[in-house]
Amino acid sequence: MSDLVVLPDRAPTEWRGTAMRRRIARRYAAERRFRALGLLAVLVSAGFLAFLLVAMLGEGARGFRQTELSLTIDFPAAHLPLTAQAVAREPRRAMIGVDLEGAVANAAERQYGAGGARLLSDGAWLTARDAILRDPDVLGRSITLWVPAATSIDIAAKDAGEPAAEAAYAKLSGRGLVRTVFAWHFLTSADSTDPTLVGIWGALKGSLLTMAVTLLLAFPIGVLSALYLEEYAPKNRWTDLIEVSINNLAAVPSIIFGLLGLAVFLQTFHLPRSAPLVGGITLALMTMPVIVIAGRNAIKGVPPSIRDAALGIGASRVQVVFHHVLPLALPGILTGTIIGMARALGETAPLLMIGMRAFVATPPGGFTDPSSALPVQIFLWSDEVSAGFIEKTSAAIVVLLAVLMAMNGVAIYLRNKFERRW
Amino acid sequence: MLEPRPLKVDAPKMTARSVNVYYGAKQAIRNVSIDVSMEDVTAFIGPSGCGKSTFLRTLNRMNDTVASARVEGDITLDGEDIYAPDMDVVQLRARVGMVFQKPNPFPKSIYENVAYGARIHGLASARADMDQIVERSLRRAGLWDEVKDRLHDSGTALSGGQQQRLCIARAIAVDPEVILMDEPCSALDPIATARIEELIHELRGRYAIVIVTHNMQQAARVSQRTAFFHLGTLVEYGSTSEMFTNPRETRTKDYITGRYG
Repeated sequence: MSDLVVLPDRAPTEWRGTAMRRRIARRYAAERRFRALGLLAVLVSAGFLAFLLVAMLGEGARGFRQTELSLTIDFPAAHLPLTAQAVAREPRRAMIGVDLEGAVANAAERQYGAGGARLLSDGAWLTARDAILRDPDVLGRSITLWVPAATSIDIAAKDAGEPAAEAAYAKLSGRGLVRTVFAWHFLTSADSTDPTLVGIWGALKGSLLTMAVTLLLAFPIGVLSALYLEEYAPKNRWTDLIEVSINNLAAVPSIIFGLLGLAVFLQTFHLPRSAPLVGGITLALMTMPVIVIAGRNAIKGVPPSIRDAALGIGASRVQVVFHHVLPLALPGILTGTIIGMARALGETAPLLMIGMRAFVATPPGGFTDPSSALPVQIFLWSDEVSAGFIEKTSAAIVVLLAVLMAMNGVAIYLRNKFERRW
Repeated sequence: MLEPRPLKVDAPKMTARSVNVYYGAKQAIRNVSIDVSMEDVTAFIGPSGCGKSTFLRTLNRMNDTVASARVEGDITLDGEDIYAPDMDVVQLRARVGMVFQKPNPFPKSIYENVAYGARIHGLASARADMDQIVERSLRRAGLWDEVKDRLHDSGTALSGGQQQRLCIARAIAVDPEVILMDEPCSALDPIATARIEELIHELRGRYAIVIVTHNMQQAARVSQRTAFFHLGTLVEYGSTSEMFTNPRETRTKDYITGRYG
């Protein structure tokens, strides 16, 4: 038996005393302080987000608009070695060696005086070419086209140009010879040296192809790894080691994966440079650990009673996994996958290492064609000297954000669709 | 230690001889021998942690899923050693079904819950066949009238007692020979409990039933044989009426009269 200890009696606690009242007041103050700090934190982050969105959308909206100039081309006067019949017969061939660019420049000089050609974008002749291809008969007459204006005019139209360009724009505008339209070609064409001609489709398609490779590799491997580690692997030192390695892999800086891709896929396996295939494999390496970790957490969240229930009526382990565990874990796995994919979509550094920073003026046709990617394209345009690229960079960012938001939307949709309540 | 006297049963459905179960270095079951009869409901009683659930789970090898668990001794089903290397554990668990402490229906429809076992064991060839299995199982589990109009509602939307009867229907659907029930009423209210006990009476004879319970009144109400476990050993095993009126062991008597437990 323990020794008896005699403890002195305590005075009864004064629950209504001043000391107690002060303690309560301090507790309330702490509550209020904490709530105010939390609210402040939320407001600051919301403010940053709003600032980013407003800045990007404002600048980006200009990138989606393009100024066009009215140009009258008198084809008979240009004496082009081109006939309507030849174009009708073999359109592409007939165009070879025809100095349409010169003809357009001459038309501009004639219409707008000396230096008139500088009002036009370098790609203005493409509009003329398309007009001829659409209807070869225009070769026999004079036509008026809306052609893309030069960058200086384009910027002046958006109230940010040089004084000389602003004056020129004001004059043209007064005569109704310029208009600003939605730049559809920005969504359909690829990179260019001229900011009035650039488009995001090349980079977007490159990114989509890359993501397809990433998803096809990282999702099955990641999910199978997660299932094996959670449902089958014995818990021992080796599986602990694998778990730590996967967690570490998820924390490796992305540029390291780029170097790995360069050394292994390009130099050892001689896969094509700048290709979505290699980009996709590299990003899959980066995304896989994220999927494994998210997948394991989702699988851990499936109640053991469901496994017992299935085992108890004689389901094999594979049946338990595929009939019960996987469907119940799927919302979590999909959310993790899409978060991993979104991260991969925004990743620039590894793609730079494997050559996806090349100037690619045509959208990739397949997985092994040279291609750019959205974040890399943004990086490249932000590096350009020409002022016209500023708003194009913002427009590209808007496209990237839109794709990311769409992916997150899909994640939320899938989670809600597959979520089961019990 | 006294060798526990296995109560001999004529043509036992399952037998256990000198069973020891270890979790790692800790021994959970010591030298238990018991026979399970086809005709009677067998109840395992005993204070918490006495090993009655552990022993129950050795009868359909659910302990295999616990990595540290190790089972020694012989357990047979119709004379076949269920721990023999050529015993298929998946088929064993279909023949020896289990109902768990907490109702655990799959988060699927009522129909799917019942049909699942029959489907994975290939018991029904046609849709009509499966419908029949589902209806028969639900009827036997006394749930048919309550759910026949909403077979495609989620099984998890039922009340606790209905969920547990759904779990019993799910176990019945694979046509088992033995049904193990691990404290099937501990999460249920008295009315749902009474319903399950009634059901156990109805199922008696068609299946060998083993029920673990720490409610002695329940053991007295539903079982014909009772086994009293204490600290991993089988203290006494006999007919329920005898055990509750005239226990041979003082420990049994103390437990039944509420001296400890």
